[in-house]
Amino acid sequence: MRRNVRTAALTAILLVPLVTSAPADWVALTSAQPAPSYTYQGTVSAINARAGTLDLITGVGMSLRVVPMTTAPTTRLVAAGAASRLADLKPGDVVRAECRRTAAGLVADRVEKLAVGAP
Amino acid sequence: MTRPRVALALLVLAVGCQKPLKPGDPLRGLSRAERDRFDRGKVVFDSVFTPETGLGPLFNSTGCGECHENPAGGRGDEVEVHATAFRGGVCDPLPQEGGPVIQQHTTPALKQALGLDEEPFPPSATARAMRTSPVVFGGGLLDLVPDSVLLAYADPGDQNHDGVKGRPNRFVDGRIGRFGRKAFVPTLREFNAGAFAAEMSVTNPQQPTEEDIGGKPIPAGVDPAADPEITQDALDLTDDFVRFLAPPTPLKLGKDGRRGRDLFPQVGCASCHIPTLHTGASPVPALRNRTFAAYTDLLLHDMGAGLADICLGLASPADFRTEPLLDLRGAEHFLHDGRAATLEQAIELHGGEGSGARDRFEALSAADRAALVAFLKSL
Repeated sequence: MRRNVRTAALTAILLVPLVTSAPADWVALTSAQPAPSYTYQGTVSAINARAGTLDLITGVGMSLRVVPMTTAPTTRLVAAGAASRLADLKPGDVVRAECRRTAAGLVADRVEKLAVGAP
Repeated sequence: MTRPRVALALLVLAVGCQKPLKPGDPLRGLSRAERDRFDRGKVVFDSVFTPETGLGPLFNSTGCGECHENPAGGRGDEVEVHATAFRGGVCDPLPQEGGPVIQQHTTPALKQALGLDEEPFPPSATARAMRTSPVVFGGGLLDLVPDSVLLAYADPGDQNHDGVKGRPNRFVDGRIGRFGRKAFVPTLREFNAGAFAAEMSVTNPQQPTEEDIGGKPIPAGVDPAADPEITQDALDLTDDFVRFLAPPTPLKLGKDGRRGRDLFPQVGCASCHIPTLHTGASPVPALRNRTFAAYTDLLLHDMGAGLADICLGLASPADFRTEPLLDLRGAEHFLHDGRAATLEQAIELHGGEGSGARDRFEALSAADRAALVAFLKSL
């Protein structure tokens, strides 16, 4: 265990100069990494199944915001553990959406309808 | 003696020998560091924001203390406007049109840019509500009552046939709510952070973006402060100030008050205004595992068409959270919008699930009604 730690530390020390003096194409490679993911949990405000768009209401306390996102053909939609469709969602449903930010805005990779306690 | 009455009696006995807590006092038993955070948080709470320090461009107040000022954390005389849309049984809090809180003031820069004196009323709204400033005493204790306790008091199907149902509200993300007149907000921390943004348009690390103006972006140049407009530290201090505010000690009861205390459950008030609640775990010993006089179940109840206004979350227009009866003696107006000038009027305006208790109150002798009111005025 101690040997592993020592090896890792030595490797890190050796790699630091390589990273800090990385050539421009390394930086480009880094920026081509997958976009960071964002998870939103909120109430469906609006859906356009044809356009593949979804608006969620999120917020803090009484300060609420709309988070618009689009879906892609690869977006996984799940309800009660089974595959679902965007058209099955309706305003008022509570969902968790895993998204990534693109130049065109948020794109959902996975949207799950949550079972929220009945009133 | 029933369990809640035993708990209340023990509570009264326990605090009986101590100096009474006044409105605005901190909880007993805070550490020196916690007391220091209470004092520093009060400074932020009482501070006045300007456009240069984050106020606006739309706002209802220039600081927390403007609406919660008698004393800090208490009531104010402000009444604000809320609006939502209720269609097909679904509530839309209208964030696309500025959200449920309608800001009634604008900064000079926004007025100059758009000619607005207040936020435009959302065109899609189906209802308007008036809201008085609530007291925030005891909020830290209410925050720590476990969800399981609320769910245990819920009786959405009225299984016990007492005419009182009770159900939890849910925030937009599905969590159980408890703060606000519609029990919409799950935690005190979110209630406070949301208030900075919704009441003063002071962005903060929890809500780092400004609200649109009727769905349109804020014109360039009217919001000079960079977002977030307060730091996490300032937000945390304010949160601790509110969290550590104690519920005021009820006044000592005279003969009438004691009679009223006995009548309170007999009339049925205690079906919703549960006299005592118990907190759960907390890193703050002064808040942890505490029994306190709350007089609420933090649940929604249908209060009848006469009081109905806006929806919010799962709350229909007629649903309201059972108001905690904390510092009731300091109130000059009653109910969510201050429409009742006296406690008697407030009780008489209870409809829906509250109508049974109201009817039993009205059937009491004049002396017993006065006794019940005397008890309420001790809280």
